[in-house]
Amino acid sequence: MRNNFKATVFDILSMGYILLLFVVAIVQPAEEQLLKLKENSWVALVCLILSYVLVLTLFKLDIRTLGEIIFEPPHKKSQGNKKGLLVSFWGWQLIVFFVVTLIISLIVTEFSFYELSSQKGFEGAKRIFWALFTPNFSILPQGFLAILQTIFMAFLATAMAVPISFVLSFMSASNIMKKSVKTGIVYVLLRVVMNITRSIEPLIWAIIFSVWVGIGPFAGMLALMIHTVASLTKQYSEQIECVEDGPVEGIQATGANTLQVIWFAIVPQIVLPFISFTIFRWDINVRMATIIGLVGGGGIGTMLMNYQGQGLWHEVGTLGLLIIAVVWAMDVASAQIREALK
Amino acid sequence: MNILSVKNLTKTYANGVQALKGVSFDVKKGEFLVVIGLSGSGKSTMLRCLNRLHEPTAGEIVFDGKNTAHVKGSEVRDLRRKIAMIFQHFNLVDRHSVLSNVLMGNLHTTGTFESLLGLFSEKDKQNAMKYLQLVGISDKAHYRASQLSGGQKQRVAIARALAQHPEVLLADEPVASLDPATCHTVMDYLEKVNKELGITIVCNLHFLSLVRRYATRVIALKGGEIIYDGDSKNIDNAWFETIYGVGAKEVHIN
Repeated sequence: MRNNFKATVFDILSMGYILLLFVVAIVQPAEEQLLKLKENSWVALVCLILSYVLVLTLFKLDIRTLGEIIFEPPHKKSQGNKKGLLVSFWGWQLIVFFVVTLIISLIVTEFSFYELSSQKGFEGAKRIFWALFTPNFSILPQGFLAILQTIFMAFLATAMAVPISFVLSFMSASNIMKKSVKTGIVYVLLRVVMNITRSIEPLIWAIIFSVWVGIGPFAGMLALMIHTVASLTKQYSEQIECVEDGPVEGIQATGANTLQVIWFAIVPQIVLPFISFTIFRWDINVRMATIIGLVGGGGIGTMLMNYQGQGLWHEVGTLGLLIIAVVWAMDVASAQIREALK
Repeated sequence: MNILSVKNLTKTYANGVQALKGVSFDVKKGEFLVVIGLSGSGKSTMLRCLNRLHEPTAGEIVFDGKNTAHVKGSEVRDLRRKIAMIFQHFNLVDRHSVLSNVLMGNLHTTGTFESLLGLFSEKDKQNAMKYLQLVGISDKAHYRASQLSGGQKQRVAIARALAQHPEVLLADEPVASLDPATCHTVMDYLEKVNKELGITIVCNLHFLSLVRRYATRVIALKGGEIIYDGDSKNIDNAWFETIYGVGAKEVHIN
């Protein structure tokens, strides 16, 4: 039996997936058949088992699979002398996997050149485009106020997230927390919570908070803040994980306690990257605040949504220009500041 | 009088590498003990067990009449305060000033809150300047550590170690990343610390010429075991080949 667990799982899943898609392609099931979760699960299971048998056979035949190539231990990887992509089993496994997935993607997205080239649809799009490029500047003052609200909303969300992320990032950095079982548990829990929080889009958070505190900029700010805490914690903690060990060891050797080691050996190494991430996050938040506004999070987004709903494309165009100008300015400014801080 | 007494020290890393296989020796007060051996012979591991940057797997380390091999928490920090260490790569905090780096030697005796705010006592500051003078670098006190050369950094590291008022100073390859001329400067300061302040030194070294010049006693490690313990003058060619392997050539630096 092969002892590389990850490689086995990878191969079973990838080949089972290909088998399953072939079964679907041959049977061509109707939609109601596709909805029968229980029966389909059995089919999938059979595919996985077949794939497992296949993996075992390949192992007996000493044929190297993609999983083995990916997950082989580092000391073996450096030995090289692998066969090329097109003359090896793993190469074809990769190609088939990629091509099959590409085909499925084309089918499920209903990709159609016919629709793209339809005359009527194209005319409609052209009309809207034309309106967007002939903006109505009479609403510029209101738009200006709204985008200021968006910028400040993004700033507050970032500013409030920074101290929270700062503390949490140390608690979710493996090099600090993986030293004892107790802190290890905190680390794992925090990682899980942060990953879940981050994987929920700010848009969803905005909907949750607009029910909680009512539609408006406050809900949008809270949504952004939650997402920012999760994102910054991840970025900060990654930075903490790659600090140089030398100073840490040096300060430890003086008899300093953990807090002192963090403050004197780690913090000086991470201050600049932290500032840089934070400014970048504010920049991202201004863009996100606009999107959040679309679901009632206040600011320019809400205004944009209102005009769009009424089909007032000239006004939408004005706001669009405003957003482009602000996002561009923020982008340039944050890039310049980050460059200078390096 | 023995200041440190190591008995049957064993260290096995989590990956199964056995770095030390039952090492026993004593360190006498006021000694300049040099440890030699190939890379990977266990020199660094042994030093790091003495100030408990590593925890030994088995064996005893008696310091101040107490077995410190498995002490925890504040006792470890206490031990580290008394057994200072300098490193091959200096391990200073580059973004802090030289003076601030030396003051970090007082972290153990300064309260957590005060230290985080950088409130070190006047006496600590005077001491820091005194030790910077001792290693001849007080004129650079307000430079950033990153602006110094390697030799200067190592001298600052010595000053930081002295700020701890240690009884023992461990030096892990203190001159391995310095040029030959600077080597001697740094070693001379270590000798000064040893002779003038009476601080016991345990030092890992590569170059035998330095060993002969500075050591009052030598221990040689090979494959995690002590194969020589005695005067540096008695290391002849035969011993040299035993320690470094047949065919090894001695490199002289002057």
